[in-house]
Amino acid sequence: MRPEAQVSRILFLAATVVGVLLTLAILWFMVRLGLPLFSTHSLRLLLTQDWAPDRGLYGIFPFICGSGAVVSLSLLLAFPLSLGNAVLIHLLAPRHLARILYQMVKMMTGVPTVIYGFVGIFLLVPLVREWFSRGSGMSVLSAGILLALLIAPTMILVFLESFAAVSTSHLRALEALGGTRRQKLVHVILPGARRGIITGFLLASGRAVGDTMIALMVAGNAVATPESILDPVRTLTAHIALVMAADFDSMEFKTIFACGITLYLWTAILTLSLRFLHFKATKTSMQVGHEQSF
Amino acid sequence: MANIIEIENLSFYYGQKRILDNISAAFGKSAIVALTGPSGSGKSTFLMTINRLWEEFAGARMSGQVSLFIDQEKLDIYARDISLSWLRRKVGMVFQSPNPLPMSIYRNLALPLRMAGWKNKEIIGHKVESVLKQAYLWSEVKGRLRDDARTLSGGQQQRLCIARAMILEPAILLLDEPTSSLDEKAAREIEALIFSLKEQCTLLMVSHDQAQIKRVADEVMEIVGGRMSGL
Repeated sequence: MRPEAQVSRILFLAATVVGVLLTLAILWFMVRLGLPLFSTHSLRLLLTQDWAPDRGLYGIFPFICGSGAVVSLSLLLAFPLSLGNAVLIHLLAPRHLARILYQMVKMMTGVPTVIYGFVGIFLLVPLVREWFSRGSGMSVLSAGILLALLIAPTMILVFLESFAAVSTSHLRALEALGGTRRQKLVHVILPGARRGIITGFLLASGRAVGDTMIALMVAGNAVATPESILDPVRTLTAHIALVMAADFDSMEFKTIFACGITLYLWTAILTLSLRFLHFKATKTSMQVGHEQSF
Repeated sequence: MANIIEIENLSFYYGQKRILDNISAAFGKSAIVALTGPSGSGKSTFLMTINRLWEEFAGARMSGQVSLFIDQEKLDIYARDISLSWLRRKVGMVFQSPNPLPMSIYRNLALPLRMAGWKNKEIIGHKVESVLKQAYLWSEVKGRLRDDARTLSGGQQQRLCIARAMILEPAILLLDEPTSSLDEKAAREIEALIFSLKEQCTLLMVSHDQAQIKRVADEVMEIVGGRMSGL
């Protein structure tokens, strides 16, 4: 191996090791700072109990449910919306319209979340309150819709990138066989862009899980397990923000580390399981590539 | 010999650059026509004006008329009422590099039929077998139809691509340097296949290989500087 290649290899390896160590250090840091709470309350209790500090209950179960509800709803709304948008921009829209839409999507990625929050408070929340005539309008639904709008541009851009990377020769083959645009989409573009679609979904779900501002502003912050999408909820991230704003050393404060660890594990499990599914799905095509190289 | 393709005053442009310059030509049925000429002279573009594949590229435009004689009827392929899908099923195309789709051998052949509206699995199965036999591939792949088509050798992949185009029973088959990416043995196999297809359809083949043209073609046309002439 040439010396330049050797140096690059060492640098990349070092960067990877540092990246992995930093990620693990964050976990260690949260466990260590949360130790006073974990030594008196088991993880099972923390994850399953209700939140009632006045009765000595520091369970974060309602917040896990809150996050789960808001994130699931936002992904449920954002995924088809983003896929549809990406298909429109890539395949269906006239060129000039596609260009305008693409620029708008790019612009949306730069809008600060607090702006979405304002739009939510002054436009969406009153509408939800009016439509359903229930509660204040601050709810899983309001937060889910806004969060979907927040994460959709990320998904759309990643989907578009993966659509553009689909093999031109496969597209030409299908066109030459008389394939319509719909057939091109179903038989070539979507299967070819599968990896990118999963990546886009993962990135967007990471952003949805980690978002604080929207949940804080429009989810209602009620410490209760939601029974309907019209119920107000407090998410794990909103809980961390709310507690940190008012406290810094109590047992309540220590729960933010339990929330942090839960968020950490949540995203890790989501990422690993989707990667695993993707690995299994593409194993065949990898084998094909391997055989071809011989 | 009755004509199957008639071209009148065909000019083609990519942006401001003229690629084809006022070409008029006619091609007879059941013949192998070789198109030759220097690289970049517009041979592939010429092929793509016959199945309108150029319309997939931005910045391209053409003028003139291309007509096909199908079922005793003269059809202007650029007329508004001509379905692009229908046209491309009638005018098949095989590319320079084999491009099987990333799916099984069987699905590569069944997909064009399904896209054309065929539903009966038994008939599709029969047609797949028949076209594989025609492409001299059946004995090589009959036990591995569910394997990914990309596991085939280059020559086999190109024969599969020809079979894929032929399964739709086109009246015309466009071949854009179909053997240029293959070794001598695989190229000869493709040549034999091409020769055997001329009873079924008209073949327009771009080739730079003069020996191959001599072996296979009934008629040779040359495109130089965007203009076509017979050799």
